[in-house]
Amino acid sequence: MLDKVEALKKEIESFPVSNSDELENFRLEFLSKNGKIQSMFKMIGQVAKEDKAAFGKSMNDLKNLAQNRFDELQSSFASSTTAERSATDDITLTAPLSPVGSLHPLTQTLEEMKSIFYRLGFTISHGPEIEDDFHNFTALNFPPNHPARDEQDTFFVRKSDDPKVDDLVLRTHTSPVQIRLMEKQKPPIRAIMPGRVYRNEAVSPKSYFLFHQVEALYVDENVSVADLKDTLITFAKLMYGNDVKYRLRPGFFPFTEPSLEMDIWWGSKEKGKWLEILGSGMVDPNVFKAAGVDPEKYTGFAWGMGVERIAILKHGIDDIRSFYENDIRFLEQFN
Amino acid sequence: MKISYNWLQEFIDLDLSPEELADKLTLIGLEVEEIEEFGSTLEGVIVGEVLETKPHPNADRLKVCTVDLGDEKVQIVCGADNVAEGQKVPVATVGSTLPIKLDDGSFLTLKKAKLRGEESHGMICAEDELGLGTDHDGIMVLDPSLETGTPISDIFDLYQDTIIEIAITPNRPDATCHLGVARDIAAALDLELVKPAVKVPESSNTSDYSIEIESDKCHRYVGKLVKNVTIEDSPKWLQDKLTAIGLRPVNNVVDITNYVMYELGQPLHAFDFDNLNDGKIIVKEFDKEIEFETLDHIKRKCEAGTLFICDGNGPVAIAGVMGGLHSEVSDSTTNILIESAYFDPGSIRKTSKQQTLQTDASYRFERGIDPNLQAIAAQRTADLIIEVCGGEAEAGITDIHPVKTETHQLTLRKSYVNRLLGTDLSVEEIIQIVNGLELDVVSKNEDTITFEIPTFRPDLKREVDLIEEVGRLFDYNKIGSKNQGIFVSTEPLTDWELLLSKTRDVGVHLGFKEIYSNSLISQKEALNFVTEEQMIETLNPLNKDMSTMRPSLMHGFLKSASYNFNRKAETIRFFEVGNVFVQSEDATYHDGINEQTHLLFGLSGFKNTEHWTGKATPFSIFDLKSEVNAFFTKLGLAGNIKIKATDESSLTYSFKKIELGKVSTVSQTLLDVYDIEHQTYIAEFSLDKISEALTKNKAKSFTAIPKFPAFEFDFAVIVEQEISAGDLMNSIKTNAGNTLKNIDIFDVFEGKSIGEGNKSIAFRLNFIDPNKTLNIKEVEPIIQRVVKSLEKQFSAKLRS
Repeated sequence: MLDKVEALKKEIESFPVSNSDELENFRLEFLSKNGKIQSMFKMIGQVAKEDKAAFGKSMNDLKNLAQNRFDELQSSFASSTTAERSATDDITLTAPLSPVGSLHPLTQTLEEMKSIFYRLGFTISHGPEIEDDFHNFTALNFPPNHPARDEQDTFFVRKSDDPKVDDLVLRTHTSPVQIRLMEKQKPPIRAIMPGRVYRNEAVSPKSYFLFHQVEALYVDENVSVADLKDTLITFAKLMYGNDVKYRLRPGFFPFTEPSLEMDIWWGSKEKGKWLEILGSGMVDPNVFKAAGVDPEKYTGFAWGMGVERIAILKHGIDDIRSFYENDIRFLEQFN
Repeated sequence: MKISYNWLQEFIDLDLSPEELADKLTLIGLEVEEIEEFGSTLEGVIVGEVLETKPHPNADRLKVCTVDLGDEKVQIVCGADNVAEGQKVPVATVGSTLPIKLDDGSFLTLKKAKLRGEESHGMICAEDELGLGTDHDGIMVLDPSLETGTPISDIFDLYQDTIIEIAITPNRPDATCHLGVARDIAAALDLELVKPAVKVPESSNTSDYSIEIESDKCHRYVGKLVKNVTIEDSPKWLQDKLTAIGLRPVNNVVDITNYVMYELGQPLHAFDFDNLNDGKIIVKEFDKEIEFETLDHIKRKCEAGTLFICDGNGPVAIAGVMGGLHSEVSDSTTNILIESAYFDPGSIRKTSKQQTLQTDASYRFERGIDPNLQAIAAQRTADLIIEVCGGEAEAGITDIHPVKTETHQLTLRKSYVNRLLGTDLSVEEIIQIVNGLELDVVSKNEDTITFEIPTFRPDLKREVDLIEEVGRLFDYNKIGSKNQGIFVSTEPLTDWELLLSKTRDVGVHLGFKEIYSNSLISQKEALNFVTEEQMIETLNPLNKDMSTMRPSLMHGFLKSASYNFNRKAETIRFFEVGNVFVQSEDATYHDGINEQTHLLFGLSGFKNTEHWTGKATPFSIFDLKSEVNAFFTKLGLAGNIKIKATDESSLTYSFKKIELGKVSTVSQTLLDVYDIEHQTYIAEFSLDKISEALTKNKAKSFTAIPKFPAFEFDFAVIVEQEISAGDLMNSIKTNAGNTLKNIDIFDVFEGKSIGEGNKSIAFRLNFIDPNKTLNIKEVEPIIQRVVKSLEKQFSAKLRS
């Protein structure tokens, strides 16, 4: 029996293996369940009792020998032959895509504006999109027959002939939040008020019936046009770069007096043009009165600007409607 | 409004180029929208003689001409029928520019060209191509005695001007005319303003006609009769001036009324006097609707209360808006009655709006013209009519002036000016700045100046209005910096603001793209989410697709998902933060209206698209639940969130008793509405409610890491299919006591071996005691308690 073991040992040592197919043959020949080593183990019954221990040991040695040779050969094939690599081991294969989250471009523009204002010492306040006539118009010094109060310009939600019941509109600007803020907080007030506003306008690449504004308000005892100017210029520089070319010119809004508009120079020196970026002014005494602030004691400035307009300028977007279509091919450009 | 650069020069001695002037106008509040050249010197356009014309070999309608230009002979291809040998014609030579506007706004410059294979060195011009008239019937044929080579500008009196279009803000009715604009420029540049010389005569008691005002909406009516005029085309200077500012010349009388309106700002009307019945003018309203044919041949229904000018028979003009056909000045008119009136701005605005008709006259009346200008304007018109159309005017005027507007006084405090503008101006400097506005100083002391406010400035009612005048003429750009543009604020951002920004941050970190969707949707779309009673609609929608305020963010998501699937997208992973609106007793700002800010997370389509690493796998509701869990974990709320199945496809999330929102599988019915073919999952929460939850959240921001290890225990129960895992977990949580720190499900199994209609759910429980290491002895009784109540509540069987 022991010579059979010896013969098998020789066989294991001399079995030719030069590639992985032959290695598999080697495994089947010796190491598999029905291989020669297992088969020989089964012959232990025929071995004399006193030889059983020696037989068992030599069989274990034989098994280890075969297993070691197999392991060595296997690792040598794995390290030496590229041809044997699995197709999926190719690290240049594409990786599955991870979802990439992003803020909407209008949020990004708004965040940029907010961070500038936060740096300038302004806090943030909010108000409702459905607003009453008092906050949206009357308190902001809009005369009763002002065109903005027409149905052609403003969406109405509720209209009443009873003078005690205030009409409700979709706010046409973020300025009513000024009034709400002054009603609940004593000066000094320094806040911006971002939000969605609505105008009854036909949809086109240049106009949409809803858009977003940011309102800024600063009220204290001696706020002047000079302060307004300083703040506007600082904002313009932080938003458009330190070398931004700007100008201030008189404007007209019912809720500020005097009113100013700011233009920045857009484009090259020769081919550029002045673009209006915001409207501003000193809070009209009538607005203060409506909001319960003493206009002799306090002065203040306010300004408002459109978020879409700034985002359009910044990114060169040619159709305002693309902000609300949510086309992934649009959104993923603002990752 | 279009302003002529030449015209302004009649009132002020301008030393600025049109471009410099435009900049100045903008800086004083008369914003320039456009600068446009009018007319041309026609440089390079000269007299040529057609020596020969031949048919064009390749085009029937073209002729090949040889033209003598004096010092050279050139070939020009011409398309006009009337071109003939021997004619003297205007030739635009190569390099010359014609007043023909191209699409890009520039003017046509002639180049050497080949027309159908024949060279053409210039162009033989028609009258309109040179801006010399409107005739386009063939080329212009000139006087044969003209010498070839003579510049066209030597032959014709060419009019050239620069037109500046300005946007007039509603507070500046005084600037709706050339004199008013000139006054502002004079004030800003410290120039002398020369007004047209007009001598207003005394009011006369003529018996030729009578004027009566029967309405308080007419404050003043001035009439002036001019007899024996000759109606014809206006002289060239008048036509040029009007054409330059975009007006179409009509006849000499009408042109003069327009001219004076653009000069002084007073709208005027000329009646054919002989067509005014009984020589009567009555200004009145009617208490019923009146049908009236205006001179644009439109029969208009005018509501009761519309102000009319009537003659002895009835209405002859809608006051301040448009005249009638019957009394219009025609070629046969000989006697003219000039109307120069002041009508109440509100009344004119109302009529103009009702008729949807804005005319040059109504535009000015609406804004409020100078109530003391009428006699001057009537006389100025009469003077010009006599000069241009001949005839003789009545000696006086008829001036009916029931409502008189006096000048008023306004006091300005120097201290307030400087406080509001941030300037350091003296009383004298302030007076100097506004000097040119014709504000007379009544009195002054060291701090105050009292001004007399002329009636052409109805906008100057309060001290701040005057401060605006000081500011704009001083130039805001010149106000010095106080270097106070940056402030230090100790006021923190509100919790609400922090929540909004954290919400967006988490959305992005979880790999969602933010969308902005429309908040006005159709009623039909809104009905997918709320009942009709809950909807809020606008009374005057743009169209029925945008009539209703969104009651939920779901519509926007589903619409955007559908839009992208139609464009070949496979994965939709969006979030949105926005306001939603419903009618509700639970009012937020206004009675009956609940407006809240919502947050939506939505998943649709494939979580993994087809790839070598694995098959395409669609999203499941568990993907969304895990993102929502991550969101609440980030907010520090996750530990106290209760999730309850509302029905088979939707889960309600709440914190204590506050319902925060839902996570749900979108129903097939709704997917069909939006034409979406993929499984879709939406989580919609109220940020207002989450904000409320945060204020009630007592979870500590930090607890020490447990010193003792957790004890993990797994067990499985067999229950009937109908029993939900959520209910089992809630029971386990209730019964396990406070050492239970975490619970999860690691296996769900169904099969014959556990009986038809049954399922097995395997739970993994983690127990932690902060004071000691737990062992099986301590946990076992807990498990027994838990299992017992599961057996009792759900007939669950422990699976060994």
